Amino acid sequence: MQRMGKLFSTILVASTLLTSPTWAETPPNMLVVGFSMSNILTLDPAAITGKETVQVLANIYDNLVALNAVNRSQVDPLLAESWTISPDNAAITFKLRSGAIFASGNPVTSADVVWSLKRLMTLNLAQASFLKTHGFTAANADKSFTAPDETTVVITLPKKVDPQIIVQTLGIVGPGSVLDSKTVMEHDKAGDLGSAWLTNNSAGSGPYTLGQWRSNERVILDRNDSYWGEKPGMKRIMMRHLAESQSQRLMLEKGDIDIAFSLSAADLKALEASKEVEVQTNAGSGFYYLAVSMKDEKFQKPKVREALRYLIDYQGLNDTVLPYFGRLRDRPIQAGLFGALPNAGYTLDVERAKALLSEAGYPDGFSTTLRAISDAPFMNAATAIQATLAQAGIKADIITGSGDQIYGAMRERKYELLVGRGGGGQLPHPDSNLRAIVYNPDNADAAKLTNFQGWRTAFYDEKINGMVDAALVETDKAKQVKDYEAIQTYYADVVPAIQPFAEVVDSVGYRADIKGLVLNPSWSTRLRTVTKER
Amino acid sequence: MNTARFSAFGRQAGTIVVTLVGLLILTFCIGRLMPVDPVRAIVGEEADRATYEMVAERIGANLPLYQQFFRYVGDLLQGDFGVSIRTGQPVINDILHVMPATIELATFAIIVGAGLGIPLGILAAVRRNRPVDHVIRFLTLIGHSMPIFWTGMIGLIVFYAALDLVGGGGRLSDYYIGLVPETTGLLLIDSLLAGDWEVFWDAVNHLLLPASILGYSSMAYITRMTRSFMLDQLNQEYVTTARVKGLSKSRTVWHHAFANIRVQLVTIVALAYGSLLEGAVLIETVFSWPGFGQYITNNMLVGDMNAVMTCVLLVGVIFIGLNLLSDALYKIFDPRTR
Repeated sequence: MQRMGKLFSTILVASTLLTSPTWAETPPNMLVVGFSMSNILTLDPAAITGKETVQVLANIYDNLVALNAVNRSQVDPLLAESWTISPDNAAITFKLRSGAIFASGNPVTSADVVWSLKRLMTLNLAQASFLKTHGFTAANADKSFTAPDETTVVITLPKKVDPQIIVQTLGIVGPGSVLDSKTVMEHDKAGDLGSAWLTNNSAGSGPYTLGQWRSNERVILDRNDSYWGEKPGMKRIMMRHLAESQSQRLMLEKGDIDIAFSLSAADLKALEASKEVEVQTNAGSGFYYLAVSMKDEKFQKPKVREALRYLIDYQGLNDTVLPYFGRLRDRPIQAGLFGALPNAGYTLDVERAKALLSEAGYPDGFSTTLRAISDAPFMNAATAIQATLAQAGIKADIITGSGDQIYGAMRERKYELLVGRGGGGQLPHPDSNLRAIVYNPDNADAAKLTNFQGWRTAFYDEKINGMVDAALVETDKAKQVKDYEAIQTYYADVVPAIQPFAEVVDSVGYRADIKGLVLNPSWSTRLRTVTKER
Repeated sequence: MNTARFSAFGRQAGTIVVTLVGLLILTFCIGRLMPVDPVRAIVGEEADRATYEMVAERIGANLPLYQQFFRYVGDLLQGDFGVSIRTGQPVINDILHVMPATIELATFAIIVGAGLGIPLGILAAVRRNRPVDHVIRFLTLIGHSMPIFWTGMIGLIVFYAALDLVGGGGRLSDYYIGLVPETTGLLLIDSLLAGDWEVFWDAVNHLLLPASILGYSSMAYITRMTRSFMLDQLNQEYVTTARVKGLSKSRTVWHHAFANIRVQLVTIVALAYGSLLEGAVLIETVFSWPGFGQYITNNMLVGDMNAVMTCVLLVGVIFIGLNLLSDALYKIFDPRTR
């Protein structure tokens, strides 16, 4: 047994010797960012889905224009130094700045811009939908995107829409990312337009280039030393896959990472107390909402839907469930966008809801189901809503599941009530919200317009469709604002199938000595401006 | 004799093939019954029907299930394991990358688990019902019953955040990433090959905590099993006889009783190592360890069947390999099976 004791103590001593103290902070010229990367499936700008990938590519690819991080309706020049809209609103002409080059050394030309847009439409993957919505297709791409000379790009609109929304679309990561056509085509494999190669390589003109992507491990971005614009502050950006919010928090507190992007509300709250860490919250895209399926005859009755509107404790959810996730909003257009009305001010009003239910023929309420993804804040919101529904006699059984299960049921129109998140908002344009949340061009089951939440809820109102379409093509700005206000008022009266109770916000924690971090909406933060004050 | 041996070998090979095919069919069915949609994972929430159907056709998700299965098996027979939906890389490349991380973790863990577990189990058996036994049983009970996710988190808070003894998440500190060439993928070995001690110590520093926690939990199991095997032996008459004959206690324990449980121990240690190699998804998640467990789980969650099936095959092969290995060790330890 003595031998054993010796063995044991040897192991103990050895293990203490092995441990040397770790560095307490990240290197001065490297920014270390932590977030969960399980959703990154590809780094091809035409194929990406999800905000995590946007966060990577926002630093690799430039767009013609940039959406202003602070003033949401402002669009700033980037690769294009100016643009003009034709008097008939049918075409947009961009003038490229001179001197912009790709990381490969190739100059950024109008041919690259046009090629990138055509590639997007030809591949017809996730990101193409932003332009398809406005009538662009692979078939009309040759006509729609042209380059009369090396520094001019002309975009001809196939369908009458507000040209501003197209300009904004070109400012978001994905549809608007400009690729180095020569470099990509050198890696074309069997006509895939470089898709396979771009999965884990980059060909952009942005401040950083892709050094390495290891799925579920890390993304390394290296400074593009030939960057045409202001020199990036950091030599390298190390993005680390940290799936757990608590791990992110520990590493942030210790200074092993500089910015943590996917922290839970509880961890963000705890970090607020730390002097060394700051928390920044900025607008995201879309809403948290309660949706009904109008395939269910109960919910076809407007009075029932209106009753539900008064069975949500807006303020309570805002105060307890949604900090760091969302901020109170009960209208279908995000606050701060042009035309957005102030909140309607709905409150939990059980008596009023009961009266409405009686009028609709349900004086004692009814039984139903309420679906929600089994994560925060969906589950908490669903539980709170279940409780307030019960006050008016509506007994809602909660069904939880993964995103695939919950939104899958919604896409198949097989659900009753659902707490969800969505409703566009990637573009700072009211149309982006309305088209996603209420617009429904064809209510037939066979149409399968699953990309419209309006279709998923089976809410169909010809008038509101017409109003949304008309507002988008309105050329008189003041009249357009009035149009969007009118849509919100009409939305309040007709009570569609989706009632928002908050708009999405994104929150990040970062070391207090990180300067120049300006959160862009929807994870498109450009980290070029970030420096460390140490 | 030779024919007998040949037919035994044939039977064994047959069993292996049947096992692996069964495993494939089962995994495929489970994967397809799960409410996940690989096409949706690729195209995202916003995509319209045309895009969805185009991608479904490209990856063959629109085919009937049995056709999908046969297509997969057909490719497999030609040595093509397919491309992962989630990473866009050939599955084999992905596995070659995640497996070393897991091998490092599992090997270190099993060294801790068996290295401490077996002696502690013997000690507990020998000192049965004495304070040492109670302490060991209490410790192993904790190791066995605490959720490993929680132990990992507490470990990080204490040893990383508070005491600053070990590294945080990941396999290396950010400074050291990419400094040594990847030869085997095993960081400890690669850094030694490159003669880079700083990287070596940093890798050890990151490995220590997750591997010890995994090791602790498998130690708990190994200790309890060793103790009960040992007690079985110590209650046998031959032990009393040996003691009466005047053999020292330690000689009786080590040369007689322990010699008899070696075979059983080999089996449980091999199985414990096998399940560690399968990947410890919770520990890997807490410690951001880019290993096999996370890989298989994340792929399962998006219905990336090429990757999942290959992983399951690999796990099957690992277990069969370990079984064969422990059979071989039986023959060394137990003359009767020769």
